[in-house]
Amino acid sequence: MIIVSNLHKYFGELHVLKGVDLEVRPREVVVLIGASGSGKSTLLRCLNFLELKDEGSIVIDGQEIDPATTPLNKVRENVGMVFQHFNLFPHMTVLENVIEAPVHVKRIPKAEAIERARQLLDKVGLGDKSDAYPEKLSGGQKQRVAIARALAMEPSVMLFDEPTSALDPELVGEVLEVMKGLAADGMTMVVVTHEMGFAREVADRVVFLDGGTIAEQGPPGTLFSNPQHPKARQFLSRVL
Amino acid sequence: MTSFLHDLIATFPAFTRAAWMTLQITGISLGLALVIGLIFALMKVSGLRSLGIVYNGYVGIIRGTPLIVQIMWLYFGITHFVVLSAFWAGTIALAIHSGAYIAEIFRGCIQSVDRGQMEAAQSLGMKRGLAMRRIILPQAFKRAIPPMGNQFIIGLKDSSLVAFIGITEIFSLSMDNAAVTFKQLEFYTIAGLYYLAMVALFTYVLSRLEHRMDTAK
Repeated sequence: MIIVSNLHKYFGELHVLKGVDLEVRPREVVVLIGASGSGKSTLLRCLNFLELKDEGSIVIDGQEIDPATTPLNKVRENVGMVFQHFNLFPHMTVLENVIEAPVHVKRIPKAEAIERARQLLDKVGLGDKSDAYPEKLSGGQKQRVAIARALAMEPSVMLFDEPTSALDPELVGEVLEVMKGLAADGMTMVVVTHEMGFAREVADRVVFLDGGTIAEQGPPGTLFSNPQHPKARQFLSRVL
Repeated sequence: MTSFLHDLIATFPAFTRAAWMTLQITGISLGLALVIGLIFALMKVSGLRSLGIVYNGYVGIIRGTPLIVQIMWLYFGITHFVVLSAFWAGTIALAIHSGAYIAEIFRGCIQSVDRGQMEAAQSLGMKRGLAMRRIILPQAFKRAIPPMGNQFIIGLKDSSLVAFIGITEIFSLSMDNAAVTFKQLEFYTIAGLYYLAMVALFTYVLSRLEHRMDTAK
């Protein structure tokens, strides 16, 4: 599904990713963890080319993506993204948010897009909020709309960039429930999160990043109970 | 006082025609200025260095020189090469002048839209142009309304400077009347009243528009 090889990324002088190799298989749920500054969000953003790699290769669905020659918008149609701060379009209703890309990018007839959007909004438990504007929603509701909006493009993989970090504690659960449902449906997911309970329950594999490299990875049971890398041990002792 | 009212009434037909001229010059020049301003703002935010330099040159020169100089330069300068009536020389000068300020308003409003909006749009497969049109500009336009209203009021009052290239609008008409009658105070007061009335009307229309945008999102 996704094969990342020897990925390097610099922000000016700062060497953020130092040769990352990562493979994500179809229907796999991969959770990226690590201290802030370890490069996990940058790695995720490289996967849909919101950040462009400086070195290395990224293969998605068997095709190596070279930003100079591949139209990135076509690649992104297939890679859904959910942001920490939701980034809903404030001048559109919930329904308009969800149908925007299917209608204007995929050119699906509006009636069909609306029908599909209503199903998705029902799925995330917000069928009754179609006509509301984002500012009227709670953080948890906004994030669930954002998930529905990404799903409306029928991506083959979903990226989540700290999807619950901006939420009040009591709203985290409703978003994680939706994500668990997606995982159960077989969606391929790459998730940056600090929710270790979610990682333990849902992840097929947990990847621990430290200083721009993958220090350790494995099934959550193994990694959480018996981390080998000293930095992983230190990090997990603080968050578990 | 009765003599002032008499002057006001006696010159009403002439001033109405002059006010219509002021409105035409203002309306046409601001319409053109909106187009110019939007095009230049989009050039600036395109991220292309060369277009950014063109923008900086345009805004720098226009904001750095007085409007009256620009009007004179266009009227006396360009007529060496093409035949341009005073009306069009004045209107185009005003359009180019307001365009620079309007470009700055649009640029500021576009750049004030959160970066996450463009990222979200792109992550859904939208190209930059489509994302700009569907996601960024609608939000930027809404934010532009209050400063744009301000700029329109300035544009209306600045149109008085075309009096100096011989167009009969409110200000030149009051100059003429003042010169002939020696009633300077009276006729410049009358000019002020006409401008005040037009600005008041415009402010009212603008507040209605802002209110509607607010309720319609």
